[in-house]
Amino acid sequence: MPDCLHIRNFSIIAHIDHGKSTLADRFLEHTGTVQQREMGEQMLDDMALERQRGITIKARAVAMNYTHAGQEFELNLIDTPGHVDFHYEVSRSLACCEGAVLLVDAFQGVEAQTVANFYAAMQHNLMIVPVLNKVDLMHARPDEVIREMEQSLGIDPDDVLRVSGKTGLGIEDLIAAIIKRVPPPKGDPLAPLQAMVFDSHYDDYRGAITYMRLMNGTLRKGQKVKFLRSGRSHEALELGQFVPQRKPCDLLQAGQVGYLICNIKELGQVHIGDTVGVPSSTVADAVPGYQAPKRMVYCGLYPSDGQNFDELRDALTKLSINDPSFEFEPESSDALGFGFRCGFLGLLHMEIIQQRLEGESDLDLVQTAPNVTYHVRTTNGELLEIHNPQKVPEAGFIDEFLQPVVRVNFVLPVEVIGPVMKLCTDRRGVYVRTEYLSPTRAMLVYDLALAEVIYDMHDKLKSVTRGYGTMDYELLGYYPADLVRMDILVNGQKVDALSIICDRRDAEFRGRAVVKKLKQEISRHMFEVALQAAIGSRVVARETISAMRKNVTAKCYGGDITRKRKLWAKQREGKKRMKSIGSVDIPQKAFLAVLETGTENK
Amino acid sequence: MVPRAAYVHVPFCAHRCGYCNFTLVAGRDDLIEPYLAALQRELSVIDPPCEVDTLFFGGGTPTQLPPEQLTRLFELVLARFPLAAGAEVSVEANPADVDAARLDVLSHFGVTRLSIGAQSFDAAKLATLDRNHVPADIVRAVELARGRKLAVSLDLIFAAPGETLAGWQADLVAALALAPDHISTYGLTFEQGTQFYGRRARGELRSADDELELAMYVAAIERLTAAGFEHYEVSNFARPGCRCRHNEVYWTGGSFHAVGPGAARYIDGRREVNHRSTINYIRRVLDGESAVAEVEQLGPEDAARERLVFGLRRLEGIDLAEFHRQTGFDAESLGGAELAHHIAGQRLVIEGNRLRLTREGLLVSDAIWPDLLRE
Ligand SMILES: Nc1nc2c(ncn2[C@@H]2O[C@H](COP(=O)(O)OP(=O)(O)OP(=O)(O)O)[C@@H](O)[C@H]2O)c(=O)[nH]1
Ligand code: SF4
Ligand SMILES: [Mg+2]
Repeated sequence: MPDCLHIRNFSIIAHIDHGKSTLADRFLEHTGTVQQREMGEQMLDDMALERQRGITIKARAVAMNYTHAGQEFELNLIDTPGHVDFHYEVSRSLACCEGAVLLVDAFQGVEAQTVANFYAAMQHNLMIVPVLNKVDLMHARPDEVIREMEQSLGIDPDDVLRVSGKTGLGIEDLIAAIIKRVPPPKGDPLAPLQAMVFDSHYDDYRGAITYMRLMNGTLRKGQKVKFLRSGRSHEALELGQFVPQRKPCDLLQAGQVGYLICNIKELGQVHIGDTVGVPSSTVADAVPGYQAPKRMVYCGLYPSDGQNFDELRDALTKLSINDPSFEFEPESSDALGFGFRCGFLGLLHMEIIQQRLEGESDLDLVQTAPNVTYHVRTTNGELLEIHNPQKVPEAGFIDEFLQPVVRVNFVLPVEVIGPVMKLCTDRRGVYVRTEYLSPTRAMLVYDLALAEVIYDMHDKLKSVTRGYGTMDYELLGYYPADLVRMDILVNGQKVDALSIICDRRDAEFRGRAVVKKLKQEISRHMFEVALQAAIGSRVVARETISAMRKNVTAKCYGGDITRKRKLWAKQREGKKRMKSIGSVDIPQKAFLAVLETGTENK
Repeated sequence: MVPRAAYVHVPFCAHRCGYCNFTLVAGRDDLIEPYLAALQRELSVIDPPCEVDTLFFGGGTPTQLPPEQLTRLFELVLARFPLAAGAEVSVEANPADVDAARLDVLSHFGVTRLSIGAQSFDAAKLATLDRNHVPADIVRAVELARGRKLAVSLDLIFAAPGETLAGWQADLVAALALAPDHISTYGLTFEQGTQFYGRRARGELRSADDELELAMYVAAIERLTAAGFEHYEVSNFARPGCRCRHNEVYWTGGSFHAVGPGAARYIDGRREVNHRSTINYIRRVLDGESAVAEVEQLGPEDAARERLVFGLRRLEGIDLAEFHRQTGFDAESLGGAELAHHIAGQRLVIEGNRLRLTREGLLVSDAIWPDLLRE
């Protein structure tokens, strides 16, 4: 059992894809935690979706033993995700560490998430071990990138270690630097138990698995523990550490990171940021540094045939057990029937949840276009939180319409500053500042409506900077704006699930793009179909789908019959899955048409 | 129901036309012998022989076979499918290879109809369609057939790339001038896997626009019916008494045998399709394996629905009482609300005891069929 002096707790943080999980592999290998022949790539990314997408979604902890200068050390590493949607995973991981290894890709250089994660680690008072990673890359520009680290983050170039997570170069020096620079955890094994819950996940057989960092005291197998916030007491059925699979042990002490299994059948009972103590403890010392995840994006999810509402609810419930950052509540739509309004951390999170829903249940879903949360102050002083455009009150009842504004940090090559500034001004961004990270790279800061950022900023940025620009954002707050709800009418009938909230000045442009896209998605009918975009009763854009004139297959002989029958029967199934509004069949994909940005420029 | 119809697939052509995705091999006449051997083997299960009222040789191009092999083809087929009195025997032919010697073989074995792949009377359009014959070949083929008292059917394609409405009208006039007994017309389609499909994807060919194709189809209906032809199925026209009885078996849910690569048979609600690849078909059959690649057994309701749809593709529609007798289902309740909806929309109509397509319904009929089927 190591004493605190021989424990080091650290996270690996970086911009997305800068090599955190690959470096974690080298740690596992070099410390002998995983035998070389059992070694895979990015071993800690073991969720199917992580492997499929090649990114980390959930932070993972792993305990390693290592002998350095004749002494045994326990190193607890937490690999974190790099994508902005999962930033809250990073901040909760940082709260259980004394140090952070900050990776910067030797080719890509400092990027938006590098800056964001660096500051998060500073806020948690962590010792930062700066690492230049991927030095094996042929086009690596080590000296320039180190200068960027110096200029943008104030890192001393002499402190930067040069490493390759791929070849293992420099790994030994890195471990030595961690042991030397990162302070050991403070804490008293003899004091009353105080462990902080920093994550949890659900295991079908064992129930909730709680991840903890012991601040004080000792936890023994079989003892009674109390979750102070929920007030519930349980027996510690199993405790242990991840190596990286679960390895049970009999006791954990102050300074260590590990897991706890009690007989908890609902993940909802385990609160991230809670403290585990002994049953007699009463006061829960507030655990610093936890931000509850914020839902930034909402969309409607509906069973496509209108039947499987209960199945969808079960599937969503199951998912939310494993991912409490995702929330849902029932809603209904004239067009789509009964479904759920779901809240996500961001677009990637939304995409991932949807993919898991489709993968883990065989539900066929209709998704409405995502929107942010708006606030409306009504004329009688009420403040409404709007997750669904349908809930926007009549114009006459709105005193103030507010939208979330984010501060966006762009990190880009200097030659594209101009185009990106234009992108931001076109979206009514407010310029904050420019900082030069090096002679060739700069950080540009703008305040922008979150809706604009979600709508198409990411794609536009990638295309304007040919992939070399990155961005990160944080919520500044809610600010009034000139917003309207735009409705879409199909043959004069409003399709509620297609309404959007947008800036009044964009309504015409957005409306045109939407009806044009709908025209492509909706096939011809026996009659003419009129598509309109309207604000209140004012039509801002229109398109017409003319009636079907000819649709007839010529040949049909003995050998064609089966094939034709199957084809037509399949079309019928496809049609059944469409939503019928005023006898116009609207395919599921059309409900995302409001995302259409149009080819014309604003 | 014991079949009284049989189809024989002959998978040989001199060259593969750019739009064609039929089961065939082009320029592989070396496979004719093994094919005949395989066919004989496949036919040997028709025991005892099955007398037929209609027999159809399709392809490919049956007349691609030289007279001697054509003779053996007929001998081995007729041994298993002897003809009833007054039987209809049709053979598909390519104008380029119709000659006196081959036609002598056909009439010797009792062929009654020659279905000629004319496609067009315009040399440029034939070239666009990648056909290997010229207009004069069609005229010659028709004359030769007439000389042997064979009924003549012409296949015509419209909506070829670059074709105009006037050009198509001229084709119709030229076809009528030959006084055929039967005409089939098809709008050109770009099927996956064909050369045309690829060429269109690369922008080298353009399909005709919908409005033009519609006008061409309507022009065909008007001209041919004005010339005394009955428009009896979506793409088929016949002088009174000259319909293709064999094809009517397909459309009225009758049973039929079929042999050869890719051939599809329908017996007692069971559909079977043979292996499509000619080489595989030959190899399998000669190795003593089954020629069948796919089997499907239709339940009574699915069979009735299929019968409804294909019956409605015949312009006289279905006789409601007969439909009920044949399938055990009431057509109107089977079609349910959707059928009623199309009747209300005047795409289908019930007249007396018949349910049939209206002109408007005919033109958009592919949008009706899904509503009458189930997956
Ligand atoms: N050449 C080279 N490639 C590397 C190195 N480290 C990682 N990579 C590659 O970089 C890509 C991203 O690596 P990951 O380890 O998944 O990066 P990550 O930071 O964990 O990514 P997220 O978890 O999605 O933020 C993979 O294709 C790796 O193979 C390195 O040292 N050298
Ligand atoms: S002649 Fe007929 S069957 Fe032969 S390739 Fe041409 S279109 Fe196809
Ligand atoms: Mg990773």
